[in-house]
Amino acid sequence: MKEKDIYQLLNELDIEENRAEEMEVSEFDKAKVKKEVKMSLRKKRKRPSWKMKVAAAVVIGGLSVSALGIAFPAYAGNVPVIGDIFRFLDNGRTGIYDNYQEYSSTVNMAKESNGVKITINDAIYDGKTVLLTYSIESEQDLGDQPRIGGYLDIKETSGGSGSQHISKVGENQYVGLITGSRLDEKDVDSVNVKWKVGSISIDGTEEKVKGNWNFSLSLQASDNEVQFVDQGIEQNGVNVTIDKITVTPMSFIVYYDQLVSKEVLDKWHGIDVEITIKDDLGNYYAGDGNGGFGQENYMSWSKTFKKLDPDATKLIITPSVTLVEYTSENHGGVEITADGETKTIAIPTKEGKGREEFEMDDIVVDLVK
Amino acid sequence: MKSTSENFIRRLQKQKEDALEFIIDTYLPLIKGITHKVLSPLGNEGLVDECVNDIFLSIWDNADKFRGDPTDFRKWICAIAKYKSIDYYRKATKRMEVSSEYMDMNTEMSVEEELIQAEDKTELITLINQLEPLDRDIFLMKFFLGYKTADISRKTGLSITAIDNRVFRGKKKLLKEASNLNAGGYAL
Repeated sequence: MKEKDIYQLLNELDIEENRAEEMEVSEFDKAKVKKEVKMSLRKKRKRPSWKMKVAAAVVIGGLSVSALGIAFPAYAGNVPVIGDIFRFLDNGRTGIYDNYQEYSSTVNMAKESNGVKITINDAIYDGKTVLLTYSIESEQDLGDQPRIGGYLDIKETSGGSGSQHISKVGENQYVGLITGSRLDEKDVDSVNVKWKVGSISIDGTEEKVKGNWNFSLSLQASDNEVQFVDQGIEQNGVNVTIDKITVTPMSFIVYYDQLVSKEVLDKWHGIDVEITIKDDLGNYYAGDGNGGFGQENYMSWSKTFKKLDPDATKLIITPSVTLVEYTSENHGGVEITADGETKTIAIPTKEGKGREEFEMDDIVVDLVK
Repeated sequence: MKSTSENFIRRLQKQKEDALEFIIDTYLPLIKGITHKVLSPLGNEGLVDECVNDIFLSIWDNADKFRGDPTDFRKWICAIAKYKSIDYYRKATKRMEVSSEYMDMNTEMSVEEELIQAEDKTELITLINQLEPLDRDIFLMKFFLGYKTADISRKTGLSITAIDNRVFRGKKKLLKEASNLNAGGYAL
């Protein structure tokens, strides 16, 4: 007979805990336990590879790639010299991507279809978000801002969000940046990414160039260090907790949770929390939200910021909360019945009117060096 | 897919995190009640929270060992909660007693001591496996769940004397088994 451990023994033990007194527990308490338990799960899984020492590298699956007919000559060179597409597309506006080029891997994968050639130039995966830069050479003019029909599909994730930038750099030549973020909070060292482009919409017209530009690649996460923070603040029924910060050589990502009390939820339709960050040296960091997931009262977000100043010892994080009333002008939904009729979904009336904003006190995080 | 009262056990055993959320939503009041009752005399709310988290982690880690329906599940996690809180209570009081007696000595348990304690517990479990089912239950209640003999009597319907006898005989049997298992012997 196989020996039983304590959990199996307790399973067989037939006793009714009838005197058990349930304790009153708030939604806050439940959310807190959920978060802490999940955090321990993550820490436990993470332990064997606390620091990922894997440098960014691109592995190209030989067989599938040749079957798809992708060639890798240095086509990118044909497009006017854009040394750093990341920086170019940002136009120096935010500086978030200033250091991405030097840490990304050169891919130079090209695929041609119907007179349009798309080349992936660089790829980078920071542990949360995959970014690809690409260039397009076309036989016909695609307008100033063609729309690429296709999104980055990160395999084995529960959901994703993404963004696109594209810019014309010469006659029938374009460069672009496409991003895709995983929404789950697992720490994954490597990802398989598929980018399937089925059409390119020509800007300013109804026309589309149809074709097949399919890419698949697998990416290793760049070096990153995770610091668990778990510091929060609560004001006016809104609780914001900084969960963890991941620092990569070119950026840092802040994961934070927003927990809203029932009173606030009953009063307002929309509750948004944004964070702004500066450090103890006075640097301000520009950031880009990666989206989030959760339920109505409990959302987990992440936001990517530009490269962290190596001399900074503290991050000063200021959450600001916007409470919004949904009206027919800023919000709406329709229901389509089986008969094809549409009817507008009514917005439930709530007490809060218009829009209110407030800034919370700073959360000061000591950076672990 | 979401966890419901019908499918949460299966989803938990498949390690789906939404099942973990489901059991926290459903059973936190109960688990916290049990833990609080055992640990509140220590006056350390932080310890209660720590223990509650540990209980849910253990449920998650050991979900695959569970057999039964939602009613059995409720009983099972109550037993785990009781077992964990008693364990926390014992460790905490041990630390407290030691620290008040030897103020200036290092009160942390050495790695060796901790290992010995952990080993004792698994050995005790090994030994309990050798007992017949009724005695097994009595030993679990008495030594792992901190029940008083009177409580065990109520649960099992046996008289207090009968239980004392069974504990006595069980200890003797364990002692014998223990010396068979390893020459060093084991004393309860």
